[in-house]
Amino acid sequence: MLEIKNLHATVSGKEILKGVDLVVKPGEIHALMGQNGAGKSTLSNVLVGHPAYTVTEGSVTFNGKDLLSMTPDERSHEGLFLSFQQPVEIPGVSMVNFMRAALNAKRKYQGLEPLDAASFLKLMREKRKIVELDNKLANRSVNEGFSGGEKKRNEIFQMAMLEPTLSILDETDSGLDVDALRIVAEGFNKLRTPQTAAIVITHYQRLLDYLKPDVVHVLIDGRIVKTGGPELAVEIERRGFDWIKEEIA
Amino acid sequence: MTSVKQYIDFLHEQRPRLDACSLPLLNARRDAAASALVAGGFPSQKVERYRYTDVAAAFAPNYGIWLKDAGGAAGSALSDEDVACCQTHYGTLADVKADAIVALNTMLVDDLLVLHIPAGVSKSHPVQVTQTLRATAPLMQNRRMLIVAEAGAHVQVILNERADADQDFLVTQVTEVFVGPGAQVEFYDIESTHARFHRFHQFYADIAEEGRLTHASITLAGGLSRNQTDVRLSGEGGEVHLLGCAVTDGQQHVDNNTLIDHRAPGCVSRELYKYVVDQQSTGAFAGRVLVREAAQQTDSEEQNANLVCTDQARMWTQPMLEIYADDVKCSHGSTVGQLNADALFYMAQRGIGESEARTMLKQAFAAEVVAEIPLEALRQRLHAMIEKRFRSCEDCRLCK
Repeated sequence: MLEIKNLHATVSGKEILKGVDLVVKPGEIHALMGQNGAGKSTLSNVLVGHPAYTVTEGSVTFNGKDLLSMTPDERSHEGLFLSFQQPVEIPGVSMVNFMRAALNAKRKYQGLEPLDAASFLKLMREKRKIVELDNKLANRSVNEGFSGGEKKRNEIFQMAMLEPTLSILDETDSGLDVDALRIVAEGFNKLRTPQTAAIVITHYQRLLDYLKPDVVHVLIDGRIVKTGGPELAVEIERRGFDWIKEEIA
Repeated sequence: MTSVKQYIDFLHEQRPRLDACSLPLLNARRDAAASALVAGGFPSQKVERYRYTDVAAAFAPNYGIWLKDAGGAAGSALSDEDVACCQTHYGTLADVKADAIVALNTMLVDDLLVLHIPAGVSKSHPVQVTQTLRATAPLMQNRRMLIVAEAGAHVQVILNERADADQDFLVTQVTEVFVGPGAQVEFYDIESTHARFHRFHQFYADIAEEGRLTHASITLAGGLSRNQTDVRLSGEGGEVHLLGCAVTDGQQHVDNNTLIDHRAPGCVSRELYKYVVDQQSTGAFAGRVLVREAAQQTDSEEQNANLVCTDQARMWTQPMLEIYADDVKCSHGSTVGQLNADALFYMAQRGIGESEARTMLKQAFAAEVVAEIPLEALRQRLHAMIEKRFRSCEDCRLCK
């Protein structure tokens, strides 16, 4: 599904990614762990096409297509979704209008007619339940005045609406209390299918307890230096990252 | 001075016809107005309130001036009471010596629209005035409106400014509004014209004790628009809300110049103007809030926020707060910025293309002003008009 080869990327002229290789297959969940500044968020931003990042070398293929040549909205239409670490507040744009614009843009890309108002609202209602998102929130402006937990639930709600094939969860657990974490993680699990995959970026084991990754990668200084099974995350939780650094030194 | 001359000449040539079709009240003020215009001329851009608009240039071309047919008997439908009301109020707020547009308008005006709401009367429906210019040659029109809401009266007025023909148009409009004790007046000025339309609107209001005025100036399309809105809070406990929204593109120029004059204690003023300035257009906002010594316990907030969408677009903003009383609560501020790049990227990640995302953000920005309008039906109409304004015809879903 996703094949990253020797990916190098810079932000404001500084090289952050220094040759990332990663292959994600349908049905898999990959955890990406690493300390602050290792390049985890840079990797997710580069994949979704954030304009502040420049790819200097390497390639990314997504479902057989050259991902890096697509605009951010085309990547979204192709089935790539990022759950933002800090979801953006958009005053004056209601969740309903926002979601309708997003969904209909995707349908247009797929050559489908826009969804009529009744079917759209019905879909909103169904998908809200997955993350127990209040109707009141759905009627407000995008993320405006939402608590940290509500923002993250809203991200998973949008994921449910757009049905991406590959989701990147960028520190979706940050700022969540135990209950909110459970709701978000369970919501995510309900959306899993054998055809979908995910890359989960996190510092902590607790989100992975719910999501049960198939593969765990450790990113240090812009490279994936160690890959293992779920037990690797447990070991990092216990021992930190220093032993890995010593191992590769 | 040369551009003043053509108007003075016109007055002398057309005086008999003008006088024949107008109220004696209007005719009685022409000479003083002409003297004031000759004495002062059109203001240069060194005059503070006209810094952002070149008035002389706008009035230099020779537009044909539209006059009513002389046949109609002037003011025949007015009762003695109405005439007396006009006598008392006409020209008392709009001073010919203080402003050249007022002088020109007073000198040449041949028609006066009067809304006289007697004490305690509440109009159940808004009064809509739609002015549509249609001509096969360039045209100038000078219009006048007088609104007198007596004690406890309530009236909502919607003024739609439109143009049907692609011609050079020049309009002067002078509006005087008297908000009586405890009266409420809502005045909505909505311009949706075109690039060859030049409009100067001088709006003056006086608010008596416990009176309340809501004024909104919505400029959705036009060529040159200059709206001056001067409000006097002269009775205790009065309240004024000034709202403004301008959406500009092409070579459009919108200049809103406001003065809120707190003369009495315990009055409230709120002002919110927002501009979305696109392409090569220019916007200007100057809002002066004057709190006189007598105006203790004044509560005033003024805000101007602007989106400048291109490198060529220009916005001038000048909020001014002048306080001579010591027990007041006042704030003022302005912002000039671009569309939020983080929001644009967030929307792109969700699949919303750049052009659609920009449209949605601009619309949301402008809609904040409309949301403050108390008249719900108008609010809905304006939301739709603004959406239509931001969408090019091909992807507009409103008329389909």
